Amino acid sequence: MDRGLYVAMTGAKQIMQAQAVNNHNIANLSTTGYRADEVAFDSSPIYGPGYATRVNAVAGDAGTDFSSGVMQSTGGNLDIAINGSGFIAVRGSDGQEAYTRAGDLRITPTGAVLTASGQPVLTNSGPLVIPPSTTVSIGSDGTVSVVPQGSAPFAVTQVDRIKLVNPSTKDLQKGDDGLLRLKSGGKAKQDDSVSVTSGMLEGSNVNPAQSLINMIELQRLYEFQIKSMNSTDTNEQSAERMMQSS
Amino acid sequence: MNLALWAAKTGLDAQNTRMAVISNNLANTNTTGFKAGRAAFQDLMYQNVRQVGAQSTQNTQYSTGLTLGTGVRIVATEKDYSQGSINQTNGPLDLSVTGRGFFQITMPDGTIAYTRDGSFSLDNQGNVVTASGYPLQPAINVPQGTQSVTVGSDGAVTATSASNAKGTQIGQIQLADFVNEQGLQPVGNNLLVESASSGSPQVGTAGTNGLGQIQQGTLETSNVNSVTELVDMIECQRSYEMNSKAISTTDQMLQYLTTNLS
Repeated sequence: MDRGLYVAMTGAKQIMQAQAVNNHNIANLSTTGYRADEVAFDSSPIYGPGYATRVNAVAGDAGTDFSSGVMQSTGGNLDIAINGSGFIAVRGSDGQEAYTRAGDLRITPTGAVLTASGQPVLTNSGPLVIPPSTTVSIGSDGTVSVVPQGSAPFAVTQVDRIKLVNPSTKDLQKGDDGLLRLKSGGKAKQDDSVSVTSGMLEGSNVNPAQSLINMIELQRLYEFQIKSMNSTDTNEQSAERMMQSS
Repeated sequence: MNLALWAAKTGLDAQNTRMAVISNNLANTNTTGFKAGRAAFQDLMYQNVRQVGAQSTQNTQYSTGLTLGTGVRIVATEKDYSQGSINQTNGPLDLSVTGRGFFQITMPDGTIAYTRDGSFSLDNQGNVVTASGYPLQPAINVPQGTQSVTVGSDGAVTATSASNAKGTQIGQIQLADFVNEQGLQPVGNNLLVESASSGSPQVGTAGTNGLGQIQQGTLETSNVNSVTELVDMIECQRSYEMNSKAISTTDQMLQYLTTNLS
């Protein structure tokens, strides 16, 4: 059997995986703080005896698109959006520090501040916990101040400061849980230049038009691969017929 | 069978749920004390197909890995507890809370539920009850022959009658507050019940301890912003269409495969 068939098959398989990444982006059009995944194809020549004539395609992450998402005004005092670059530090389910752009926060009865997906928000000295309070406000540098329950409405107390970081996006990698982590492991340093706006949420940065074009392109590429598998098959059949007639 | 199909399917599911939340908000634009909900999306787990930095040969590493996302889900419907606007009704038993706090209501099974809906009325015994007939807690009974009922901003209820023009205090309305009001569980009929994540209620007199004040003769309207909901609805519909397009495209790809390779 001609090995060209396998090259085309690999191509088709990888393109379907790229389509899955693209569909995942489309599914996350409305996910707060979502950063689009990008996919790229690498050529991987098959070395063996003789000249490497076959080159397989291999789909790989081209990383994550870190451009900003759409800002939506919600008015919620626990909704924060990061202005420009930067991330909110949270504790991932593995106990390690991880980073996210999703700033829809909530408070548990024990006073712990969590993201909507349930990860504790971190300060420089561990998880952020606030005392029982009547109002909570988050300043532009991440400082959390509250009016404790039982005190006068103007008795604002500063609690702690949310850890905001700004590592180079080159060093960040998306984990299995969708949170970003440093490729090298470890923790990023607090960056005072990162600022947040409360009462706003940052939407997903998936570009719907681009995703649709990607989708069409991948579909046609897929059809090319199938076509070339089909042609290989036709060639094979012709060769067979030629042998029979002689 | 095919991840591309399932990822898009989760998108359809989630947008569908979001539409249900939007519809419920819009349906309740005139519900007294209603608080708007919002669907919170979260990306699902990722499949690590090829680890970044893995050895491609003994001396070389893959410069990129491949992780495939598996779609999206709705993790929560967060309630927006911002104040609704106050509507003047002049009804003596129409009460609203400006600020934090919930009225306490005794349910038929004896448990306590909480509400922001202060449109109370009297039953045939003279008890102050909600529109569904559930009594206010602590119970307040308006004696027969009462001419007018006054509710102070701190919740003190005074009744005056022909024989008693000065009025006597017949009860005290108390408000309950929660650390995490987002954690309250809506049970319909404008009522909310305590849950593990709301924390336990802190009951107090209106106007103290950070609790809001009670205003007689007014009702708190729904805090649904119809413009926001309509914009949300457009966004939801288009996202739904895109996900459905993703499914049909993937389907066409698979169809092309089966028709051309058989």
